[in-house]
Amino acid sequence: MAEATLRLDRLAVELGGQRRVDGVSLTLRAGEAAAVIGANGAGKTTLLRAIAGLLPAATGGIEVAGLDPRTAGPAASARRRGYFPQQPTCAWDPTVDELGGIADQPADWARWRDRLALTALATRPLSTLSGGERKAAHLALTLAMLGEPYGALLLLDEPTTSLDQPRQRVVRTIVHELTRAGAACLVTTHDAAWAGDFPRVLALAEGRVVADGTPAQVLNADVGRAVWGGP
Amino acid sequence: MRPGRGALVAGLGLLALLAGGALACGSAGLGLGEGGGLALLRLPRVVAALAAGAALGLGGATQQGLFRNPLADPGLTGVFGGAMLGLATLLGFAPGFAWSHAWSLPAAAFAGALTLSGLLVALGRDGPPARLLLIGLGLNAFAAAGTLLIANLAPESRELLVNGGAGDWLGMASPELVVRPALLCLVAGGLLLTLARPLDLLALGEDVAQAAGCDLPGLRRRAIVLTALAAAAATCLVGQIAFVGLLAPHLARALVGPRHHLVLPAAGLAGATLLLVADTLGRSAWPGTPVSAAAVMALLGAPLFILIARRSHG
Repeated sequence: MAEATLRLDRLAVELGGQRRVDGVSLTLRAGEAAAVIGANGAGKTTLLRAIAGLLPAATGGIEVAGLDPRTAGPAASARRRGYFPQQPTCAWDPTVDELGGIADQPADWARWRDRLALTALATRPLSTLSGGERKAAHLALTLAMLGEPYGALLLLDEPTTSLDQPRQRVVRTIVHELTRAGAACLVTTHDAAWAGDFPRVLALAEGRVVADGTPAQVLNADVGRAVWGGP
Repeated sequence: MRPGRGALVAGLGLLALLAGGALACGSAGLGLGEGGGLALLRLPRVVAALAAGAALGLGGATQQGLFRNPLADPGLTGVFGGAMLGLATLLGFAPGFAWSHAWSLPAAAFAGALTLSGLLVALGRDGPPARLLLIGLGLNAFAAAGTLLIANLAPESRELLVNGGAGDWLGMASPELVVRPALLCLVAGGLLLTLARPLDLLALGEDVAQAAGCDLPGLRRRAIVLTALAAAAATCLVGQIAFVGLLAPHLARALVGPRHHLVLPAAGLAGATLLLVADTLGRSAWPGTPVSAAAVMALLGAPLFILIARRSHG
């Protein structure tokens, strides 16, 4: 069996004196993908940020390709990891292609830009795009920076929120393709239909995993009540 | 489409022409003088304006990139004020030592700039960039008051310090005074150019930059030390002149876009061009009554700055 790309062992994160992630254990190997669902504030973003090495105070085990991102140094642990934040921003106002230039991979950039239907917008400043188009441009940048998918870890925080339907479909296909190509993908989403496409779904509530399994095991009324409350 | 690299080459050519023109312009009218004598006399001043302007432009672009804020500028964040306070402390309390030890002036300016930068980072840590700028404004006012106080306490250095505070030191440029700070401008500027990649990543936010492998604390340290060095060296050459570091990066982004491998050199070129033009105009446009580079800079720079600000946000 392939070496684990991601291994979490009772991961816990406390922020501002509050436990945001509590005892999450998860292993993803090359070619495996999982969706993380949960209400707002359930700890999905905090979980992804901890795995991305952005929360040094996180306790418990985190291994990305055998390295602990909290201690391995930024460059070493970043090499095989792509991280897409929930609300990507840019301090300046580059054109779509100038943004893509940051990836330093012109061929990869052109490919992902075209896949996400941004080619016609290539010379437009981000400030002139819609929110969804901007998000798609940032997503194309994340994918271009990832490089070779095999053995890479892709962390996507609500990548389809605010995208139009065709782009949402493209993103679903891309995640599927990258997983087949050997990436390990961990994706948060509020889209239950998309979560149902993943072989594995984790449901978070108040930082804890309340259900972990196939869509049939997780996406049901009992788990729904635990995650979102209600009758 | 933006002109990109072509703009850098064109800017360099323009700067060379302007520098040639600056050597031929002065209160004595147009011309290089017999055997180039006048040009040789003007050379230290032209070199000083070029080196300081480039250092200021690069320092401003770096601070704007580091704080992800288009208002950041060593003149506003207290780095300049710190450099001036360092110089004032040395010139006010140990003028004999200052003038007999050539490196002591840039060293004192660097110590002052670094102290204020350190205070800025320590006080503004964990806050949004806007708070850092507000703290910088406070530190700058504090440093300016300190400089004035020292000027009042040390009558023999008073005129010199007041002139420095008004950005009017280029007129003193001599080979001995210019060579060391100009060299430091070159070193600091060259090293600042190496920060282009991490500053590009940082533009995407701290999370994305770190997740992409940017060593954020390391970047902050390098950027702050090098900006302090650039500001200190420039202050030794010109005195305090705030507008160059603010305006040059805006001009650069308008010309070459926001990627730092272009913005940093373009801001250096823009800064050198702005200061050279301001100084040349100031010393030759009104023969007999030279005007400080800082005054001309503000006179020309302010309308230009407002124009760019309006265009980039509308």
